[in-house]
Amino acid sequence: MSFPKKPGGKALDVLQNLPRITLTNLRPEPGARKNEKRRGRGQHGGNRSGRGHKGERQRGTRPRLGFEGGQTPFYLRIPKYGFNEGHSRRPQYQPLTLKRLQYLIDLGRVDPTQPIDLTQLINARGLTIQPLKRDYGVQLVDEGSDIFVAKINIEVQRATEGAIAAIERNGGVITNSFYDPISLGILIKPVPFFMRGQPIPKRMLPGEDMVPYYMSAENRGYLADPEEIQQARRALAQKYGYVLPDISKDELCHMLAMRKDVRQIFFGLSPGWVINMPEKKILKPTDQKLLQYYSS
Amino acid sequence: VTLDTALPPNLRLPSNLVDPDRLKRPPPSEDSSLPLIRKCDAALPAHLSPVRTWVDTLESKDSEPLGLTELHPDVFAVTPRLDILHAVETWQRNYKRISHASTKVRSEVRGGGRKPWNQKGSGRARHGSIRSPLWRGGGVSHGPRGPKSYYYMLPMKVRVQGLKVALSSKMAQQYLHVVDSLNIPTPDSQYLLELIRSRHWGESVLLVDVSEEFPENILQATENLKTVNLIPAIGLNVHSMLKHEAVILTLDTVRFLEEKLLWHDERYTFLYPLKLPYSDFP
Repeated sequence: MSFPKKPGGKALDVLQNLPRITLTNLRPEPGARKNEKRRGRGQHGGNRSGRGHKGERQRGTRPRLGFEGGQTPFYLRIPKYGFNEGHSRRPQYQPLTLKRLQYLIDLGRVDPTQPIDLTQLINARGLTIQPLKRDYGVQLVDEGSDIFVAKINIEVQRATEGAIAAIERNGGVITNSFYDPISLGILIKPVPFFMRGQPIPKRMLPGEDMVPYYMSAENRGYLADPEEIQQARRALAQKYGYVLPDISKDELCHMLAMRKDVRQIFFGLSPGWVINMPEKKILKPTDQKLLQYYSS
Repeated sequence: VTLDTALPPNLRLPSNLVDPDRLKRPPPSEDSSLPLIRKCDAALPAHLSPVRTWVDTLESKDSEPLGLTELHPDVFAVTPRLDILHAVETWQRNYKRISHASTKVRSEVRGGGRKPWNQKGSGRARHGSIRSPLWRGGGVSHGPRGPKSYYYMLPMKVRVQGLKVALSSKMAQQYLHVVDSLNIPTPDSQYLLELIRSRHWGESVLLVDVSEEFPENILQATENLKTVNLIPAIGLNVHSMLKHEAVILTLDTVRFLEEKLLWHDERYTFLYPLKLPYSDFP
């Protein structure tokens, strides 16, 4: 395939010999504008105006959709079952494949030398989260686990076993933590939140049904015991058949071991602080009751 | 000029006559002695070569070009998408339009509440009100209803591409000229007109500078001229570029335009409105 030297080359050369492009010369591409169908006008649109011949069709008195002439219609014959019951209360997690994560790291959009947070993924435009549509965060899917070669400290909301194994095989750290919808909205778009001038709220704990998930060590939950997590890491390494690399001997060990506090939303910012964006200042509460509340 | 070669006084020349002296100056060749005043700031892709143009002065009427400039091909040599030009031009015309045309419906026309005559017995056609659309003086059934706005926004990148296409087509048809700055020696309009005529730039000229403050001389000279207009670089738009035959940019304007128009090629999508501060965008 011969590569042209200039992308608009030939067309620009042709333009040199054509008359000047003026306001009178512009027109849309042929076929871009199609005339709309107008009923009841002219030889083809007129007469019965596309309604057919006599009867309920032409007169517009057909019964409602689903009516079967009096026979019990299909949508009433079939008994109800709660397939979609409570669908608007079910938490959804946006999937993130390891292949996409590797792609983002390779292109330099995500920095593997810093802890990878949902904010970092969104800043890299890696994925889109809609907290108002019952999204509770991101889940890690093990689609590209054989290609994945990156040592990262990543924090997601859900992860499959294969994804956990792939990350730990490369010497990384993975944590599952919970964000309630308000904290999630703040985490995704920090700048509009800071412009509001409200103090950073504390992250709420998960609900009853999600507590066992975040307390189990197999899922690397943030509420689990660190020793149990170490045992689970060894068990997973044995199950998937790889040697578990020792993180404590790594240069980035300090960064990899960074984890957020249970009530913290951002690294380095505690709940209760107010950020002043225009003057670039942070205001911290001094009242005893507030400090007690925010540190509970 | 003798009387034989002078044009007769009752001859009317059409306005779209092409000036035969216009295209006398070819684009600069590879080996020209003039210095390269400006190189492109942004990094060029490997497969593209910059566009070269002459740089003129407005100081004296018959001066030689000062030097050469390199223009970024992704701004001044993009594919001439005339359909984008048409879309941006219609958008510019229509998005400000509010049509105040309004008619009264049969319920809004004064009167017409009473049945004019009995349903049966009078021998005339049956009517319910004297202001129905069938009647003279009655309401309009499907007329324009009150102020209507034709506001719509084309995507930002389409509008940016429209500017790039307009600049490229002006460059390709040799209506775009680069000048070092807009300083002229005298505030005389005649001087400007003779300069434009001697250089065969065209009938209407658009002068673009970066800042909103122009030198006094050029302000006075263009004040009473209809066909020669000044705009700052922020006000550059497709409609003005197409309306004026020639577009004159200063070197600062070229730098400004390249910087602003090339940014949109490699930027992330906006997460929140641009008015809120971004740390990684300008």
